[in-house]
Amino acid sequence: MAGSLSRGRRYVLLLLLLCGFGVVLFRLVTLQVLQAAELSAQADRQHQKTVSLEGARGRIVDRHGKILAMNVEVQSVFGVPNTVDSPLKTARQLSPILHVRTDELERKLRQDRRFVWLARKLDPEQGRRLDRLSLDGIGVVMEGRRFYPKGPLLAHVLGFSGMDGEGLEGVEHRYEPYLHGEKRMMVLQRDALGHTVFPKGMMERSPTPGHSLTLTIDEVIQYIVERELEDAVSRARAKSGTMIVLDPKTGAVLAMAVSPRFDPNAVSALSPDRWRNRALTDAYEPGSTMKAMMAAAAIEERVVSPNTMVFGEHGRMTVANTVIHDHERLGWISFAQVIQKSSNIGAAKTGMALGEHRLYRYLQAFGFGQRTEIDLPGEGVGLVRDPKDWGRRSVASISIGQEIGVTPLQMVSAVAAIANNGMLMKPYVVSEIRDADNHIIRQVPPQTKRRVISPETARSVTKILEGVVTDGTGTNAAIPGFRVAGKTGTAQKIDPRTGAYSASRFVASFAGYAPAGNPQLAMIVVIDEPLGDTQGGAVAAPVFSRVGEQVLSYLGVPSDAPITLAMASRQ
Amino acid sequence: MIDRLTEHRGLDSFDIRYVALILAILGIGVLSIYSVTHGQKGGVAPYYLKQLIWIGLGAAAFLVMWASDYHDLARFAYPAYAVILLMLVFVLFEGRTSKGAQRWIALGPFTFQPSEFAKLILILVLAHYYSKAPRVGWLQRVIVPGLLVLPGLLLILKQPDLGSGLSFVAVYAAMLLMVGVRSKALGFILLFSIMLFPFAWEGVWGSLHDYQRQRIMAFVDPGYDPGGKGYHALQSKIAIGSGELLGKGLYGGTQSQLKFLPEGHTDFVFAVFAEEWGFLGVLVLLTLFVGLIWLSLEIASKAKDQLGALLAVGIVAMLCFCVVVNIGMTVGMFPIVGIPLPLVSYGGSATIMTMAALGLLLNVKRKRLSLFY
Repeated sequence: MAGSLSRGRRYVLLLLLLCGFGVVLFRLVTLQVLQAAELSAQADRQHQKTVSLEGARGRIVDRHGKILAMNVEVQSVFGVPNTVDSPLKTARQLSPILHVRTDELERKLRQDRRFVWLARKLDPEQGRRLDRLSLDGIGVVMEGRRFYPKGPLLAHVLGFSGMDGEGLEGVEHRYEPYLHGEKRMMVLQRDALGHTVFPKGMMERSPTPGHSLTLTIDEVIQYIVERELEDAVSRARAKSGTMIVLDPKTGAVLAMAVSPRFDPNAVSALSPDRWRNRALTDAYEPGSTMKAMMAAAAIEERVVSPNTMVFGEHGRMTVANTVIHDHERLGWISFAQVIQKSSNIGAAKTGMALGEHRLYRYLQAFGFGQRTEIDLPGEGVGLVRDPKDWGRRSVASISIGQEIGVTPLQMVSAVAAIANNGMLMKPYVVSEIRDADNHIIRQVPPQTKRRVISPETARSVTKILEGVVTDGTGTNAAIPGFRVAGKTGTAQKIDPRTGAYSASRFVASFAGYAPAGNPQLAMIVVIDEPLGDTQGGAVAAPVFSRVGEQVLSYLGVPSDAPITLAMASRQ
Repeated sequence: MIDRLTEHRGLDSFDIRYVALILAILGIGVLSIYSVTHGQKGGVAPYYLKQLIWIGLGAAAFLVMWASDYHDLARFAYPAYAVILLMLVFVLFEGRTSKGAQRWIALGPFTFQPSEFAKLILILVLAHYYSKAPRVGWLQRVIVPGLLVLPGLLLILKQPDLGSGLSFVAVYAAMLLMVGVRSKALGFILLFSIMLFPFAWEGVWGSLHDYQRQRIMAFVDPGYDPGGKGYHALQSKIAIGSGELLGKGLYGGTQSQLKFLPEGHTDFVFAVFAEEWGFLGVLVLLTLFVGLIWLSLEIASKAKDQLGALLAVGIVAMLCFCVVVNIGMTVGMFPIVGIPLPLVSYGGSATIMTMAALGLLLNVKRKRLSLFY
C-alpha cells in the first residue's frame, strides 16, 4: 500500500468537501440574497420601534427680545408592556406620581404592544420622583415642552402647541413651518431579554431647533393693555372684551388682548371658546365708530365739508318706513357736530347723499368685508353684503354702523388708515424670523395696502374726531397732554331669539389714535355686553385713555397739548 | 538526530500561505468576538483578549507540533488516549456543568474541555493503529478500531456532547476510507452520509411535528435550547439573512449586538460575522477555509508514509466536518449540536486543539521533506 493518498481518493475527498461546502453555500445564498429582505424586516420587527419626537421648537420673543414662548426639556414616560412583570403593581407605583388612574395605567401596560406612552411632559418634580423608582419596563425620554413664562400674557396671539409639539393656535400655528424643530426619530431597540436599549448616537444627536420669531408686540404695552382691559371688563361686568394697539404708520401690532384671558401652559381643561382670538375672528356690529369712515368717505367725495350744515330733524327721522332716533333733539348742526354728537340722523342723511355705490366702495377701501391678512390664523371677514342685496334702509343703517359686521382688527386698521394720512397698512405681528444661530432668515417690512383717502381728508377727519374727545361723546378717552382723535360706538346686539335689536345687550367700543398731530398709537377697545352703563363713551373710552396715557409715557412720546384744568382734575 | 541536520529544510516546510490562511481566519474570529462582546463583561478579561491568549497558547502548541516528529507522537497515542479517557470519566463525575452539559474541568479561573483534545488524540490513535501493521479483514479494519473509538464516543455522548461525538465518527469514517475497506462503498456511504447529513436532516427533521422535534432534541441534548421552539436556529437565520449582501458593518449587527442571537461569540460566531459582513464577507471566510483545507489535502497526498497520510486525512476530515456542520447549524440545516467553528469561535480548548492539529499537519509536510534530504 502506497504511503500517500492516491489521486483517486484525494479527488473523492475533495468532492465530499465541496459537496458539504456547496450545500452550505447554497443555503447562504438563499438566506442572504433571496430571503434577505424578508429576514431583515423580521429582524427590524423584532427589535425596533420608531417613535418620532419633536425637535426643539423655536422661541417667540417680543420686539425687545423678551421671551414669550420657549422650550424646556422635560421627561416623558413610556412603558414597554411585555417587559413589565406585574402591570398592576407597576401601575400602582406610578399612579400617584403621574397623576393617572391606576386602572388606566394598568390597561396600557397590559396592551400587546412594544411601546406605550404613559405620561408626556412631566413636571421636574414628577421626574425626580420617577427617577427614584427605577422600574423595569418603564423608560423615560426627554422631550421639549412648550413653556410660556409670562403665563396668560398675549396668550390669544401666541396660541399654544399640542402634546406632539405642533402649533395649534395663534402664532404657534401660523408659523409652524418655521418654529418646529427637526423631528427626532427615536429608535427604540429591544434586546432579547426585552430591555429597551437606546442606541448611542440616536439620542445624543441633537436635532436642529426651529427658528425663533420676533414679534411686533411690546411686552410692556401688552401688559398694560391686558391689565386695563381685564379691569374694565370686570368693572363693567361684561361678557368679554377686546383691545388692539397698532402702530398706525406701519401696521405693526403692539398689543392685542382678549378678556377673559387663559394660560397657554394649561390649555387642556379649557373649551376652545376661551382661546379663540376674538380680536380677529368675531364680527360685531360696530355702531357709531363706523361714522368715522362714513365721514372720511363723504369729505373725500366732497359730499360734505366739516362745516356743512345738516338738519337734525329734532331727533326723529323716517327712512323706508322705519324710524331712526337720536339721543338729542337736534336742529341744524355742522357735519363736524354730527360726528362729535354721534347723530344717527345726520350720519344717515350724509350716507344717503353719498349713495350706496360710493359707500360700498369706501367700505371696501377701508378693508371691511375682507381679511386684513394679518399673519394670524382664523381671521374672519366680517359681514359686508353686496349692494344689490341691500334694502331701502341699508345705506342709512350702514352709515351708522348697523347691518354690517366688522372685526375689531378691521375697525382698528381702518381707524389707523385715517391716522396714517389715509394710507391703509397691513397689520402684522411677526417682524423677524431668525434661525438657531440667530441669523435673520426673514425680515418683515411694513406693507402698504392702499391709499383710502387723501391726506387733506385725513386731517379734516382727525380734526372732527379730536372734537369727539374734547367736546363730544368721547371725552373719557382724553389723555392729559395729548391730542386724541377717536369715535365712540354703542351698538345694540341682535337678540338671537327675536332676531330684533336687544334692549339690554350692547357692544360698547372706542376706536381712535394719539397723539392726533403725529399718531403713534391706533387703538380700539371693544367691551361686549357691559352691564349698567352701556355707552362706548362710558365703558370703552376710559380704557383707551388709561392705556394711552401709560403707553405714551412708556414710549416717551412728547406731549402735543397743554394739560387742561379739566383733565388735571379728572385725574 | 537527522532533524538537527535538516533544520533549514524544516523551515522551508513552514508554508507561509498555510500560516497566512490560519492567521486570517483567526483574525476574523477575534474581530467577530470583539464585535459581539465588546459591550459585556467576560469575567477576568474581555472575551477577545482571552481569545488572543488562547491563540498565543495555540501558536505555541502549533510550533511544538510542527517541530516534533509525528512518529514520536504516535508512539504515545495509546497512553494519551488512556489519559483522556480518564479525564472524560472524571468530567462525568466532577466536571463543571454549563448549559446542561458536563464537559469541563475547572483549572483555576479557566476551564478545560477534554473532549476537544480527545478528537486529536483519536486521530493519532487510529493513524497509529492502521500504520503499525497491515490490517486485513473486516475484524482488523473495521471492528477493532471501532471498539477503540467506542469508549471515548460513549463518554462524550454521555456528557452530552453530540457534536464532538459526531466528529469522532467522522474521523473514524475518513480513516476507514483512507485505508480502504473491502468494499470501498462502505466507507463512502459512511463518510457521505455524515457529510450530507444536513440534507437528510432537512428532509426528516422538517417533516416532524414540533413536539416530536422537541422530544427528540430533549433526548439528544436536553440543555441546549432551553427556550425551545427552535429559537436559536430562528435567531441565527434572521441574523444571517438580515446581513444581506453587504452586511450591517462592524458593531452594526442588531441581532447579535442586542443578544437576540445566543452564543454569539462561541457556536454562533458565524452568524455574527455573516450579519455584520454580509454574503460577501461569508464568501471570503469560506474561501479561506477551502484554501486551508485544500493545502491540507495537498499535504496529506504527499505524506511520506502511511502514518503521515492518515494523520493528515484525519485532521482534514475533522476540520472539514466542523466547518460544514457548524455553518450548517447556524443556517438552520442542521440540529444545534454544539460544534464550534474552528479557529473562529471563542474557546480555549478548541482553539488550542485545532492549532495543534494544524501544526501536526505541517509536521507531516516537514517530515516528507526531511526524508528526501
